[in-house]
Amino acid sequence: MVVEALVDQLLNGLTIGVVYVLLAAGLSIVFGVMDVINFAHGELYALGAYFAFSVTTAAGDPNAFWVALLLAPAAVAVVGVGVERLTIRPLYGRNPLYHILLTFGLVLILKDVVEFVWGPGNKSYPVTPGVLQGQVAVAGFDFPRYSLFVIAVGSLMAAGTWYALNDTRVGLVVRAGAQDREMVRHLGIEVDRYYTLVFAFGAALAGLAGVVLAGRNGLEVAMGDSVIIPAFVIVVLGGLGSFRGAVVGGLVVGVVQTLTRSGVVAEVFAPVPVVGELAALLPALEGLVVFGLMIAVLLFRPRGLFGNPEWQSSEGEGDLLVGGGGALGSVWRRRLALGAVALLIVAPFGVGLAYDGFVVYSLLVSILVWALFAVSLDLVMGYAGLVSLGHVLFYGVGAYGTVLAADGRVTDLVAAVPAVGSPLAAGLGALGYADSLPLALLTGVAAAAAVAWVVGYLSIRVAGVYFAMITLGFAELFRQVVVKLPASWAGSTDGLYGAELSYSVAGVSLGEVGDVVLVEGVAAGPVVLAREVRLLYFVVLAGVLGGYLLARRVIEAPFGGVLTAIRESEARAQFLGYNVVAHKRRVFVLSGALAALAGGLQAVTGLVVGVGPSLLHWINSGEVIVMAVLGGMGTLYGPILGAAVFRGGQELLSTYTGQWRALLGLVFVLFVVFLPRGIVSLPGELQRRLRERGGDPPTGAPAETPAEPKLEGDD
Amino acid sequence: MSDGDADTDDGDDESVLSVRNLRSGYGETEVLRGVSFDVGEGEVVALVGRNGVGKTTTLRTITGAIAPRGGEVRHRGRSIGGLGPTETAKLGIGLVPEERRVFPGLTVEENLQAGATGGATGDALERSVEEVLSTFENLADRRDNRGADLSGGEQQMLAVGRALTAGADLLLLDEPTEGLAPLVVDRVVEAVRAINDDGVTVLLVEQNVAVALELADRVVVMDDGEVAHGAPAAELREDSAVLDRHLGVTLD
Repeated sequence: MVVEALVDQLLNGLTIGVVYVLLAAGLSIVFGVMDVINFAHGELYALGAYFAFSVTTAAGDPNAFWVALLLAPAAVAVVGVGVERLTIRPLYGRNPLYHILLTFGLVLILKDVVEFVWGPGNKSYPVTPGVLQGQVAVAGFDFPRYSLFVIAVGSLMAAGTWYALNDTRVGLVVRAGAQDREMVRHLGIEVDRYYTLVFAFGAALAGLAGVVLAGRNGLEVAMGDSVIIPAFVIVVLGGLGSFRGAVVGGLVVGVVQTLTRSGVVAEVFAPVPVVGELAALLPALEGLVVFGLMIAVLLFRPRGLFGNPEWQSSEGEGDLLVGGGGALGSVWRRRLALGAVALLIVAPFGVGLAYDGFVVYSLLVSILVWALFAVSLDLVMGYAGLVSLGHVLFYGVGAYGTVLAADGRVTDLVAAVPAVGSPLAAGLGALGYADSLPLALLTGVAAAAAVAWVVGYLSIRVAGVYFAMITLGFAELFRQVVVKLPASWAGSTDGLYGAELSYSVAGVSLGEVGDVVLVEGVAAGPVVLAREVRLLYFVVLAGVLGGYLLARRVIEAPFGGVLTAIRESEARAQFLGYNVVAHKRRVFVLSGALAALAGGLQAVTGLVVGVGPSLLHWINSGEVIVMAVLGGMGTLYGPILGAAVFRGGQELLSTYTGQWRALLGLVFVLFVVFLPRGIVSLPGELQRRLRERGGDPPTGAPAETPAEPKLEGDD
Repeated sequence: MSDGDADTDDGDDESVLSVRNLRSGYGETEVLRGVSFDVGEGEVVALVGRNGVGKTTTLRTITGAIAPRGGEVRHRGRSIGGLGPTETAKLGIGLVPEERRVFPGLTVEENLQAGATGGATGDALERSVEEVLSTFENLADRRDNRGADLSGGEQQMLAVGRALTAGADLLLLDEPTEGLAPLVVDRVVEAVRAINDDGVTVLLVEQNVAVALELADRVVVMDDGEVAHGAPAAELREDSAVLDRHLGVTLD
């Protein structure tokens, strides 16, 4: 029985693993050749499945599946050509970060397109060919035919890809291009054409993976989400750009994931005393195992298992383009900032007079919270050049820390510590700890700072894209821990809601958070002149402003200068005698603390105090990066603008259309392509354009260097 | 660029390469401020000068890696000012860049095949790769070794061979002897001479003035983005004043 179950699960694992191989191979080749990290790869996978769904549904014949198997990947390849030509091509030569940003925008667009065209809700192919149904007996075991089919298709494609890369002319150029793009051009080869080909091929592999897996697992709009993170884990595990790594990583992750989830390992080890009990815990650790694996590999082999030995891919490290344009003088900028703050202070008083309802108020609060989150990210990304793809970790730790302190679990935890526990808990009780908003926020911030120190200590040794991936890994790890732990720990999937907090420390209290009202609502008959204004809004405003000013102070100090030097050239900063790693770690901790403050404020400003695991979704890390770049990173004030535009735009668009994400994604893509320095560079850009129109047209812009001189982040 | 289309005859149409008043640079920095010289069929011309006078920039502008900002580049009478590196390579202008830039993960044979895949000729792949391998015997021995595993001299030969399989009849060599042991330098010099004897025209950028004077028929001395002096190599060898002023060297 156990053996059968084990074989069963192994086959399941291999089936998923093969699909992962197809996905990871495409991702990895595209990265190896073009330095493009394609977050939209999962959406291409979904597109493949949906195209096949359309073909099989329209035909109604079981054998239409075979047609779909060819047509759908081809159609996805065509989409890939369009994507590469229109959006990715203008970005070659820039820092790989911009591809992450761009493809993140594409994710928003493609997901909405899928939902718009095919509608929400789960689907499955109407019929699959009879030959793929049922079981087939091999060596005394019954295997599902479809699984064998998936494995066969995947293996064939992987072998074909390997052959194409190593034994064909095209493969030779692709490998040469991955190592030294410019040199390939100097040999008279139009390497750009190969890029389109490679991207389309990667897209087709993803599409194929979607077609075959959807025949087993069905289709849903979010199906791309569920594979993209494992696919990245695999690519990082195997070594970015390494085809062998993608194959080995894909199979390993597929099998490990399936085995841990299934509980069959527990069955196998059940008779063994201690090991059996440990194995019984495995199903709860499914997500942990995979991300733990990735983090461990990155820590011990920072370039992945295979570290792309076969290609020796070059690292295309273009500069990060920081914002700032210099069109507005610092005096004007200060006046604008003060004006904005003044407006924010009076804004809640206008609720009811100038505009109606709670929506505006909660939008303002949301913008403020995200603005602080974006500022915290800008500290590490815009100044230290560390692109953290897992910043939601600190945001989340802040939120969870705050809520756990508020509902008394932190006190319980402290009390459980032997010997010193109960006096400490009593001390906390005397401070009115479990009830205190400031202390709760402080708990979140302190917890996040500690987590940031550990994560920073472990991750900062790897650079660039690997840093982005390892931080993503830590964030997902935390999310999995929260979800998988019993609800008594951190609320699991339901989250933690309903704790109560006061403006109080050590018994001195202004009252409960929801109840302290500065101005009562005023009404003249039926006309509402003003709605009630709560203290909470000003607490948020003060927290966000305070966080911003602190960040600014740090950046204006010599410390900030060193950070900028590190971003511009790490090697040179090191030659000057600066301890680069220590500086990066320090700013990482500060950034984590600020993100945690944002998270804590987020948790206390909802309708009820609380937090749920959806706050920890990686998409939030993506959105905050979007905000920082949209506004203009490396400026601190840019990200605030970005948060306002992003959240405001979202609110505005969502009142008109359900497809607001696609529109927002489109705006974002346009920004990344045409205005990578963000909104704050707009005045300067306009000025430059106008001047150019007036004066002589510039003679032949240099082919390699950016057309405009490099601008410094000036604040 | 646009003024290059007018068929003015201030360029020598007999030349393989004719550079007239070329201006170029990076960002706001002007590196070349009007460079003119010619390279005749079958010649070896050396560009010499101190660090930072624009020798490499000249090569990069000729191949189209940097767009010229003014002046004219003609290849066999045809203006190539606006062309990119792919197009110039297809015309038979082969670049052997600084630090060789062989493909580190490809074998010697694959490096040469990559050259044969692009370039001016695309049909005679095998013959061409084999030809190069028979010319550079030390490469033939290392046919299946990866580019990264070769010595500096071998990499230099491979980079030259790669340009040849790409069909170059005008070879732009950027610092071919940099970082090589004296014995290896001699071998590279011999190889360049052999290639030149086979009819390949060579434009050479060289820090090592002794090598430049030994290899070149003519030497173009650059200083601060301009041509300071041009003379047959034999003549320059005797002209210690020029050598001292622009290069800071004295030959003994």
